[in-house]
Amino acid sequence: MKIYVFWTIFALFVFFPISLLVLQSFTSPGSLTDVSALGWEELFGRRRLLEATGVSIVIGFFVVVCNLAIGLSAGKALALYDFFGKTVVDTLFVMPLLLPLLAITFGLHIAMIRIGLADTAAGVVFIHLVPTIPYSIRIFRNGYVSLGKRMQEQGEVLGASVWRTFLDIELPLLRSSIQSVIFLTFVISLSQYVITAIIGGGSVVTLAMVYFPFLSSANTSLVAAFSLWFALLPLLFYIGAEGLLRLFPYQRKVRR
Amino acid sequence: MFVRRKPWLMLTPALLFLLLPLYGLWSALWNSLTPDGEVTLRVYSALFSNTEFLFSFFYSMWIALISTILSLMIGWLMTRFFLFYLENTGGKLAVWLPMIFPHFVWAYLILLLFREGGVISGFLPGDPAFANDPQGIGIILTYLGKEIPFVILMLLPVYLERNRAYDDLVETLGGSFLSRIKDAEWPFIAPVLIETGLIIFAFTFSAYEVPALVGATFPEMISVFTYDWFYSGDWSERPLAFAAMVSSSAFIGIVAWILLFFMNKKRRNITEGL
Repeated sequence: MKIYVFWTIFALFVFFPISLLVLQSFTSPGSLTDVSALGWEELFGRRRLLEATGVSIVIGFFVVVCNLAIGLSAGKALALYDFFGKTVVDTLFVMPLLLPLLAITFGLHIAMIRIGLADTAAGVVFIHLVPTIPYSIRIFRNGYVSLGKRMQEQGEVLGASVWRTFLDIELPLLRSSIQSVIFLTFVISLSQYVITAIIGGGSVVTLAMVYFPFLSSANTSLVAAFSLWFALLPLLFYIGAEGLLRLFPYQRKVRR
Repeated sequence: MFVRRKPWLMLTPALLFLLLPLYGLWSALWNSLTPDGEVTLRVYSALFSNTEFLFSFFYSMWIALISTILSLMIGWLMTRFFLFYLENTGGKLAVWLPMIFPHFVWAYLILLLFREGGVISGFLPGDPAFANDPQGIGIILTYLGKEIPFVILMLLPVYLERNRAYDDLVETLGGSFLSRIKDAEWPFIAPVLIETGLIIFAFTFSAYEVPALVGATFPEMISVFTYDWFYSGDWSERPLAFAAMVSSSAFIGIVAWILLFFMNKKRRNITEGL
């Protein structure tokens, strides 16, 4: 009985709206029965969209790399060590999520103009770190907590270097945390409109920058296709990242 | 000594990252206090005598409060009652699905469904528009769609890792269903619930994208209102934009401080057995 309630809620509030988008993207504007692929054709026929997709992927890539580096090391410190001031540090890492992103961006914009980071992709990467890093630290912290200290100690006892321990023990065992961080970070980076607009100043054109002006368009098929593109891109990025993760040697050696 | 220093070394990149939000906030504060190079509270007195701003501030507070409370309640009920299905891959995917759409895409969906003549509102008697409405129903609906899955994902690990022996304990002692929730579940979920609620409140209070798309032209959420100040023709209104955002930060900071204070007090009570 319960399971039907669960899936009915899902069908009504998640599946129905999304399938409506899918349906509209394959039909002509305003009609849901007149099949046409013009929405998608028009979408991919625009050079601006393809360029913006590229820009978004490159920015997302750097944001993800920074998140992995900062999140892994901070998460490990918070999970496995006790030190003076830990609760303060803990609270500080939630703080960026509680402050209005616009307040931070307004303030940083001035600084970025001064040091030449305004209107650059690097500046946009920096501002995208603010809404993503706190989540990554939390995810890796939980990952390291369930991993525990024992495994690393074993590596150490057997004479492995810190780097070796990281590559052979932590990385494979933290795989699901890494996957979550890659996915979540990329989605959040892709979703930032206003902070990208302010810091990028119109010269860094990400997908969100192209999408917003589109929304008033009467061509609902095109907007529907564009909307779905936002969900497809993280999936493609995720598959790509997964492919890269598989390049690590230990992933191939496992044979049973 | 080396062992002691190590965690701080590992925290250094993250602490350096914290300079971004801290400096941003400081710079916003400084610029709101020195509109013509000298420290003055002129901007703030202008801000708080601006009735449009005050109205927008309270409107944002109201919308954020409703969105937060509804998200927490529905998210918590769903986690609690559907825990069994949420553990499975299918259930997890169902929760993750709305997470992969940006907020503004979800806002567009609400627009498509609920605007005048929309897919749903068009069928309702009288064609009521729930998007771009002054009551902010469109904004709230958008946030519910995005934040309920977020609440579920935050609560799920707590419910999965919670010591379920407490449930049996309450049952053995003859406790009711309500006392089971109060004594065996609430102490575990309260900290996460409060933290999640704070994150959602701060976000819905000050985010720009959703109200810019499904909000009404009047009243405006604080973010949309402030953004217009920031980008008004000349830069004369920029100090006002800074001051508005600093005030919002201060407001959220006070709310967070009060809630965290009570949470810590409660936590102490639990650990010290009071």
